Amino acid sequence: MTQADTDMEKSRPMTAPLEGIPLPDVDALPDYERGFWEGTTAGELRIQRCSDCGVFRHPPMPMCPHCHSLGYDWAPTTGRGHVYSFLVVRTPVHPALREKEQTPYNICLIELEDQPQLRLISNVLHVPPEDIRVDMPVEVTFMPATDEPMVVLPLFVPSNR
Amino acid sequence: MVADITPADLNNIRDKAAIVGVGETEFSWDSGRSEIQLASEAIKAACDDAGISPHEIDGIVRYGMDSNNETMLVQSLGIRNLRHWEAIAFGGGAGNATIAHAAGAITAGYCNYVVCFRAANLRSGVRLGQARGSERIPGGQRVFLAPWGALAPAHFFGMFARRYMHQYGATSRHFGWVAVTLRHHASRNPRALRRQPITIDDHQSSRMIAEPLRLLDFCQENDGAAAIVMTTPDRARHLRHGDTLALVEAAAQGSGPMNEGIVFRPDLAVAESAHTARDLWARAGLTAADMDAFMFYDHFTPFCLIGLEAYGFVPPGEAKDFVEGGDNIRFDGALPTNTHGGNHSEAYIHGLTHVQEAVRLIRGTSTSQPPAKEINRVLSCSSVAQLSAAVIVRRG
Repeated sequence: MTQADTDMEKSRPMTAPLEGIPLPDVDALPDYERGFWEGTTAGELRIQRCSDCGVFRHPPMPMCPHCHSLGYDWAPTTGRGHVYSFLVVRTPVHPALREKEQTPYNICLIELEDQPQLRLISNVLHVPPEDIRVDMPVEVTFMPATDEPMVVLPLFVPSNR
Repeated sequence: MVADITPADLNNIRDKAAIVGVGETEFSWDSGRSEIQLASEAIKAACDDAGISPHEIDGIVRYGMDSNNETMLVQSLGIRNLRHWEAIAFGGGAGNATIAHAAGAITAGYCNYVVCFRAANLRSGVRLGQARGSERIPGGQRVFLAPWGALAPAHFFGMFARRYMHQYGATSRHFGWVAVTLRHHASRNPRALRRQPITIDDHQSSRMIAEPLRLLDFCQENDGAAAIVMTTPDRARHLRHGDTLALVEAAAQGSGPMNEGIVFRPDLAVAESAHTARDLWARAGLTAADMDAFMFYDHFTPFCLIGLEAYGFVPPGEAKDFVEGGDNIRFDGALPTNTHGGNHSEAYIHGLTHVQEAVRLIRGTSTSQPPAKEINRVLSCSSVAQLSAAVIVRRG
């Protein structure tokens, strides 16, 4: 079978978070990063938002890059957006990915509808990697990556809007 | 109101520094020796090429990532009076930046002979392309990347490639023509690690690593070291290559540094080096059309296309047509590109070999010297890296 033939066959979709790779130590995170993870535990995609000028930012930082305020809150988002760019990892670069045969998996840069250019890294579930497209509409879902101590990851699934 | 861009008549470093020596170790998968030994060997080779003793070095500009600090080098090389030393943040983007900073130090009169170098066992030691560990991350941008498997450079730079393909209709085959051409150049270069020619079909059938990036879109991971010696033009005239000087005409850095968080830039199809290019051309009083060759930081092949556009060799979206078939970017083509074979096929010394190749082209000693073209000016640049830097090397 040639590589081209292999490429024609669709690979299995992701159905759960990757296992065995680095996760945040939520308790050790600075305040300006922890709110994101407290949101996912509560089943909300909360993004850091400046409490003075109202602009969202991600990844979180202590200061607003627009108005330089130190004030922020964790604002729930709609959790809806589209795939801005993506890639499909077919060759594992981490022992846990090799040992548990977790490739292929996708990495997607999701742009949220809440604000232009507001993007986060995630995985899109339930779609063969061959069917992922730029601009594909998606919505958030939540799954625990591990139980003890628990970290809940935001992941995305196709939406039919 | 003071202009945002420094005009050409204020380009203070213009022709104030010359690259007088280039040297390297052999490139390998397992050097069998320490990084301080590799650094020392490459620097000695560059001094030999220049015709100076390492004792005369009084300035060091190194990569921040390099394990060899100034203290070790002073002792290893027997430097008598180190007058100037600095480290440029991060890896590949630092290559051209070391030259820019060294030119600044020489122009300021801080030192007379500066060495820029990179020495690392990037294959037998810690590989940049691999990840390990399942530790809990205590904070920082990795928190918002690693949990979803974004762990390696390909996972960040592949994101640029996909978006670029989407916006401009480029395909994997276009990236393939870059690979085929760079390998052709390496096949003519005895220093190169990968000398076996490849075809576009070889590229298209090579393994998908981080789709859309195939194995043959990646640079090498190898051991080795490279070094460059710079000094003032008046000193350079009395050294081994005094008849043909390689002068730093202009330099620029921009939009850096960003490390893993680089995927969070606003537009992934436009290189941040568009900022660098704007400053570079303004300072030089030149345009891409004035360049006789193009040395770009080829960590991944798509950045040839993105770089060609960022530096204005072609309009946005047209690089795919320019590289099609490889003729334009081959050493005997319209724009000789990475005539040493680049990071892709010669060796990955974090971009410093590109400046060395620019010097060889100026001297007329490249193993793929353009046959029907006088090389007076070469652009060495990085298109997207942690730090975007560029230098113009000209014949003096």
